[in-house]
Amino acid sequence: MRKYVVIYRSVLMENLQYAANIAMGFISYFMLIFVFINLWDYMYASPGDLIAGYTKEQMIWYVMITEMIWFGARSATIRQQVSADIRGGNIAYLVNKPYWYPLYILSRYTAEWNIQLPMYAALTAVIGAAMVGGIPGFRTVTILAAVPCIALGMTIHAVFKICISMLSFWIEDADPFQWLYDKLILIVGTIFPVEIFPAALQPVLKLTPIYTVCYGPAKLIVDFSAEKYLEILSAQVVYLVAGCGILFWIYQRGGRKLYVNGG
Amino acid sequence: MRVIEAEALSKNFRVKHKEKGMRGSIRAVFHPQTEEIRAVDRVSFGVEEGEVLAFIGPNGAGKSTTIKMLTGILYPDGGRVEVLGIDPVKKRKQLAYQIGTVFGQKEQLWTHLTPYDNFCFFGAIYDLSGREAERRIAELTEIFELSDFINTPVRSLSLGQRIRCEIVASLIHKPRVLFLDEPTIGLDPVVKENIRLLIRQMNKELHTTIFLTSHDIGDIEKLCRRIVIVNSGQIVMDDSMEHLKYHYLNRKIVEVKLQEETALPKTEGITILKQKGSRVRLEVDTSVIKINDALRSIDAEHVEDINISNIPLENIIMEIYKSEGRGAVQ
Repeated sequence: MRKYVVIYRSVLMENLQYAANIAMGFISYFMLIFVFINLWDYMYASPGDLIAGYTKEQMIWYVMITEMIWFGARSATIRQQVSADIRGGNIAYLVNKPYWYPLYILSRYTAEWNIQLPMYAALTAVIGAAMVGGIPGFRTVTILAAVPCIALGMTIHAVFKICISMLSFWIEDADPFQWLYDKLILIVGTIFPVEIFPAALQPVLKLTPIYTVCYGPAKLIVDFSAEKYLEILSAQVVYLVAGCGILFWIYQRGGRKLYVNGG
Repeated sequence: MRVIEAEALSKNFRVKHKEKGMRGSIRAVFHPQTEEIRAVDRVSFGVEEGEVLAFIGPNGAGKSTTIKMLTGILYPDGGRVEVLGIDPVKKRKQLAYQIGTVFGQKEQLWTHLTPYDNFCFFGAIYDLSGREAERRIAELTEIFELSDFINTPVRSLSLGQRIRCEIVASLIHKPRVLFLDEPTIGLDPVVKENIRLLIRQMNKELHTTIFLTSHDIGDIEKLCRRIVIVNSGQIVMDDSMEHLKYHYLNRKIVEVKLQEETALPKTEGITILKQKGSRVRLEVDTSVIKINDALRSIDAEHVEDINISNIPLENIIMEIYKSEGRGAVQ
């Protein structure tokens, strides 16, 4: 396990040099949040209104937190690197080292989001406090409970993204599938909470990774309950185990299809 | 003791084939055609411990594919391979701890980290303890003379410095066999010579077996005691460097400047390669005619200047490539 910690540490050292680059993403984040604050201000006609069970403050904070997770999870490693490694044959040189390639990628990604997410979390707190106000009924201890959920959500997200990237073992380009997954997460779990969608669709959405990646952690922060917490944690564990199983299966089969150009 | 054993090792690649033009592109959608290329064809050889072996051949001969099978990167389609008694296909991870690889065209170093941080990283990857890694880094820093730039980010290093660091990164875990795939590609002659010296020193001091592929004849001539030539996936020659030179260097190049332009007599064993005025370039086959007899036939009294040299090893190898090539097997 030490080697994965070293990979994590090395990426951390590498990415710390690019903290300023990450901060450039703050501009897009701020613009997006600004639009949503105005949008929900308009949608909530009078104070105290509820939409899908959310107050205006809860709704805006929900969007800010999911966007924070979304921006914090942005990673070229899981979106492009794995596909590029497979298509370009570089994976052959990486699997030749005494580590397990998917865990190598996961360690790299964890280091990436461990830098990005706290930066976006700080920005979210500042924007939220300045433009929205506090979350109704929020207690600081909720953050401590939500942290493991966010970490698990980020890991599940990475596992599924790596699985999609690894389709490159069979198809020329896995990007359309990445696009589909990203848009699903963005529309269904990030911009709008699951409760906004028709009641018939909600159980289906709760069966998708969206529930565990964005919706779950954000919901816990804006409206914490012990039952919800256990429900989301259990769903995350099930998703992580299933996702890892799929990843292992794809990687084992894909590895045998390895073709290295220039051989 | 044999550290590498390959027996009837084979690898085929399926390559997509498309007819030319738009029509061909449309047809390829409905009736995709593939062609099977035999990249490595029943190759057998062995490498002794501590040996420095050159595994060479023209582009597409199957050199890198063979290395990739020996290191467990590619699965062979046929035959048997063992490196240090380990089957690379079944125990790739176990083998990774025993071998090192440098692919001249692929970077393994993290460019934003310093060589020192990179070496620590590789030490941890190969399960070396912190103290062990430190000791090894100090040892290799001295051998490869890295102290001037060990704390400079890799992205700021020159190509020669980077290649030295790449080799050190591959040696951090004390591999018993080192696979070098074109390690001097793109380097200037001075740096090349430096790298060769270090490789030779490493082989001598650390007793590392070296399996080298290169298109650079200088690498082969100066480093290797044995040469295996592959072409079209098959071994066309497996011989010692000394033997190769003895057998193929029986032809001498004689460059003569005569006092005046003279028509030279036709003699068996002498081929006129070029004649321009009073300057003549001859090839003398010493297995047919002795060199002093050849000189006598030129008429030494009229010779103003003379230079006798061996045929460059590069030409010999090129001839072997040409004479043994047979095209891809479908």
